[in-house]
Order: sequence, then structure tokens, then C-alpha cells
Amino acid sequence: MNLLNRLTKGMGREIGLLVALFLMIAIFALIDPIYLSPGNLLDIVDQSTINGLLAIGITFVIITGGIDLSIGSIMAIVIVSVGWFLTKQGMNPILAIILGILIGAVIGLFNGLLVTKFKLQPFIATLATMSAFRGVAYIITNGWPVLNIPQNYRDMMDGDLVGNFPISIPILLAFAIISHIILKKTRTGTFVFSIGGNEEATRLSGINVDFTKMVTYALCGVGAALAGMVMLARLGTGEPAAGQGYELYAIAAAAIGGTSLAGGKGSILGTLLGALILSALKTGLVVIGVDSFWQYIAMGTIIAVAAYFEIIQSKFSGFGKRLSGKR
Amino acid sequence: MRRIGNLKALVLILLIVIFATACASKNEAGNDTVAPAAPAETATFNPDEADGVDFKQMREQNGVVPKPSGSIKLGSVSKAFENEYWRTLKEGMELGAKTMKESGIDVSVDVRSAQGEGDEQGQLSVVKDMINKKYSALLLSPISDGNLTPGVEDAKKAGIPVINVNDGLIATAPNFVGPKAIENGELAAEWIADKINNQGEVAIVIGMPKAFAARQRTAGFENWMKENAPDVKIVEKQNADWDRSKARDLAETWIKKHPDLKAIFANNDTMALGIVEAVKASGKQILVVGVDGIGEAYESIKKGEMSATIDSFPKYKGQISVEVALRILGGQQLPRVIWTPQALIDSTNVNTPAEEIIGWENAKFE
Repeated sequence: MNLLNRLTKGMGREIGLLVALFLMIAIFALIDPIYLSPGNLLDIVDQSTINGLLAIGITFVIITGGIDLSIGSIMAIVIVSVGWFLTKQGMNPILAIILGILIGAVIGLFNGLLVTKFKLQPFIATLATMSAFRGVAYIITNGWPVLNIPQNYRDMMDGDLVGNFPISIPILLAFAIISHIILKKTRTGTFVFSIGGNEEATRLSGINVDFTKMVTYALCGVGAALAGMVMLARLGTGEPAAGQGYELYAIAAAAIGGTSLAGGKGSILGTLLGALILSALKTGLVVIGVDSFWQYIAMGTIIAVAAYFEIIQSKFSGFGKRLSGKR
Repeated sequence: MRRIGNLKALVLILLIVIFATACASKNEAGNDTVAPAAPAETATFNPDEADGVDFKQMREQNGVVPKPSGSIKLGSVSKAFENEYWRTLKEGMELGAKTMKESGIDVSVDVRSAQGEGDEQGQLSVVKDMINKKYSALLLSPISDGNLTPGVEDAKKAGIPVINVNDGLIATAPNFVGPKAIENGELAAEWIADKINNQGEVAIVIGMPKAFAARQRTAGFENWMKENAPDVKIVEKQNADWDRSKARDLAETWIKKHPDLKAIFANNDTMALGIVEAVKASGKQILVVGVDGIGEAYESIKKGEMSATIDSFPKYKGQISVEVALRILGGQQLPRVIWTPQALIDSTNVNTPAEEIIGWENAKFE
């Protein structure tokens, strides 16, 4: 019991999410048993990879109290440029993937620059770049999609590893683990939380706030780049219009996972579970045949409910601490 | 202990939400209900049912195009050039003006667009600019069914003829040039029914039904099946926001849920191409039919992946709309609606030139 307590210490949110996820799966399975088929369960994970990668990236930014609305557009730039490298340049896929990640990071740094050096509010800065980056993506291909993405690249980013198990899932997990380590085990991670908690105090204590923030935006760009490259492999075509509105689902996944939009709070595991819950919900609504208009309402409700429980939970845990303190 | 209490409540609410939506929607999403083909209150004008002729009939009835006096400058406002469809329509209009110019008629066309399909106001300001610059006639494809209405009123005051091209609809414009949208879905339904011997399970991926044409495609498909192939069951119908990746995800789930699924009809080619990826991954033989006839769809049909697309030939539609503008400027009285050609493209005719499929001839002048 003691061990269990220690293991789960500070993870109430994540455990709650896990229980909610399992219950959701159970309910959908009761309505339509096909939901529980291995193929469908794999689809749930598979269909959460793109949103998961985006959401992990944006979690860093949100913890600092920022936001990045431009991730859908970053995705599009990476999609068309990597597509261009592969088809028009005949580039080695590994090189193209590395370049894609770099492009994501550089674009993210640009967002970070606007936020730190030009002192733009993150919402406004990335609202501006959301539009501008989308334009860049259109200009790169003149609005046309990049066709015939080579099969070796597609296998590398979304091929089957064993059976029907796609390689995109390990890519998501690898990015999640690296992100978790950065956030929880490095000094940068500590600074990220402390900026979100109290930016001014962090600055006064001599920490390079601007640099740390730039790192978070760069990581967010890398997440978007990975998401874009998985999508490119999955669809076999690179569209400059890809990823529109995807930022909202990424923010939703982070929020459901307990990342506070006010900053200072959040975890990669939570975000990952948030992405899985959204995917399980979406797939479930499709499997049981809910009308698409109602799906919007269901998605919205889940986001609101999850956020509401975040509030209740923190209130109660504070209350509990006070009680035990008195004793 | 308190935390556990919270969990219970969290779970309970999730339960309620899910059941509520599930129950509420079961009634709404019944598969045997047929989508209304434009509900009455919005259908002040439905070009599919209006008094119309197809473009060949128009040519027969009205003879040659009157030669305009002086130079003609047409203005066209499109939805968004991000979309290949609108780019091709633009090319068609420019080609139409160019061929006329080569035969000695002084016509030019300026095709502009809004900044994306969400830019209703921006599109209106382009129209107003063209009115201020006194263009000879306007060819308009509004983003929504209402956003250009003020511009059309201004144009009327300024005596500039307005021609509504393709979609959305301008109820107050005197003429509409575009395909019979409902026929789009009917052609797809007819082809699929024939290929699956009039029985089996099919599914529809719809785009966000904001535009008239999109609503009509689904309605045409469903109504045709209901009337002509009652043994074809439409087992799923969901929205994928015109998004390739979302359409792929939907198809992936459906293929597992309905192992006997025979065909999927998508409201446009982009979504159909996403579905093709899901079908390929499943290793099954499922027919995929899209709408629009974009280049990538042609490539996919040639490769034997996508089954068919309904092409409404924007390149020729553009030329027809320019011709219609000149007829109106020349004083001809045209019917309310001029239907432009469309055809189903599959492996049998994917290499046939469009001119041949629709029997195209350039417009003749006096």
C-alpha cells in the first residue's frame, strides 16, 4: 500500500484519466462489442498519434503560460517541404526526416522570438504566424498537393512494424518519453514549470526565461513537424491545406490531461492520456453510429467536463492538505 | 478518500454524457431517413429544380453569341484559390476570354478570390471594388449563400449584370451557371449500384454541409438509392470536414465495423483519396467514389486505386460562364439556370479527353 501510494503520489489526475478512459472503452464496448476488437483498439491508438505528437509539443508551451496556435500551419510547411525533398530532390528519407525536424524547430524558434524578444502575447504572435505560415505552405507548392510520396519514406514513418502495428506509435512513445525526461528530470524542465508559476520571480532569480521559452516553442515545432511527417506518410500525399484546426484538438488533449492554460501545471503522461481519450471518444462515436453533428457536442462536453474536474480536484486536494495539516 | 469520490463523479458524468449523446443521436442518425434536399425555409432558390437548360440547349436556343461593341472587362470572384477546383475554374474563364480574344473579340477577365473559404467579408470587398471600377459584368461564386447579397444590390444599382457561377447561391442574381448538383450524387449512386449488383452495404463521407452543392451531393446519392436500389443499405454517414486525414480515420473504423462494406462515396475527391489509403491498408476490395475530378483523382483512377469521380469540368464551366456573360451583355434573354456538363470518370474513360466526353465546341460569334 505504501509503495502504491508512493508510485501514484501526485498522479491523481493521470489515474483519474486512466479510469475514465477504461470506463469509456467499457461503455462503448457494451453498446457495440466490435469496439473491443483488437483492430479497433489499435486504431484508437493509431488515430491518436498525430494529435498526440502535436499535443505533447504544445504542452511545453502551455506550461510556461503560453500558447501556440500555429502548429497546424507548421505541420503544413513541414509536410510540403519534406514532400518536396522526397519527390523533387529524391532525397534520402532519413535525411528528409532530420531536415523536417529541423524545419519544425526553426519555425518554432521564430514563434519563440516573437514572444520573447518582440514581447508579443503568445496568442497574438501565433495567431499571426498561423496565418503567415499557412501562406508559406501554399506558396511552396503554389497551392498544389505534393503527390507520390515514396514508399520507403511511408514505411519509415507509418509502415507496419509487426502485423498491423504501425511504427507511428513507437514514434509517439519515443517523443513522449524524451519530452517527459526533459520536463521532469532536467533543469530546463524545472524552469519551464517555474516560468508558468511565476515568470517575474523566475526572471529575478537569474534564470534565462527568454531562452527557456524559446526552447519550449522549438519543442512545440518539433512535435508539429513529427505530426506532419506521420501524416505525410499515412496519406501518401502532402497537402498545403493539411492540419487546419488541428491546434484546437491538441490544446484540448493537453487540457483534458490536466495542463493548466494559466501555466505552471501539466504532464506529458496526462497529455498522452488526453489524446487517447479524445481518440477513443471519436472512434467510439463513429462505431456506435452517432450523427456527426452530435459528435461536436460530445467532444465539447468532454473537454468542458474534464476541465471542470481539474478545478474540483485541485480545490479538494488543497482542502485535504489543510485538514491533514491541522491534525 | 476524497480523491476517489472525485473519480467516481468524473466517471459518472462521463457516463451520462456518453449515454445522452448516444440516445439523442440514435433517433437523428437513423439510416433509413433520407436527407432533405434543401429544406424549404432556405430553399428560396434551388438551381437543381429551377427553370433551366443545359449549355448545349442554350446554344441551340440562342444561336451565335452577339459580338460586343467596345471592350469588355469581366470581373470574377471565386471562393479560394487554395482549392484546385477554383484554380481550374479560373483557368477556364481566362482560357475562354483568351480564345475569344484570338478570334478578334475584345474580352478580358479578372479572376480574384477571397482569402480562404472563411473570408466572407473579404470576398464582398473584392466585389465592391469591381463595382467601383465599373467592370462590364460580374461572375460570382459566393462563400456562403448570403455574403455577397449587398454587393449584388450595389451592382444592380450600377447597372452591372451579375451571373452566379457554380455555388454558393445568390437568390437575387438573375442567372446561375453551374452543374446540377443533385445529379452529382445520383451519378455516383447509379455507378456504385451497378457495380455491386444493386445490393450490399455502402457508406457516405460528407463534407461540412455548409455549401448547397455538398448537401445536394449526399441527398442525390441517398434518394437515388432509395428509389432505384432498395437493397443497397447506406450503413454509415458521417462528416469529415473535407479533411483527407479525418476521412481516412473514419473509413478505417468503418471497414472494421462492417466487414462486408462494398463501397464508400465521398463528397469530394480529397476525402476519397484519404479513404483510398484506408482501403489499401485493409487489403479489401471496396469501391471509392469521389466528386470534383481533380488531377490527383485522375492519377489514382489510372493506378486502379480510386474507383471513380464525378467531374464537373471546371475548365469548361469557366468558358461557358464567360460565354453566358457575353450573351447577357449582348442583350439575349437566357433562362434562369444554365446547367454545365458533368460526367462520371472511371477506368473506362479516364484517358478520354474531356472535349470528347462532354462534346465540347468553342463558342461561335456573329
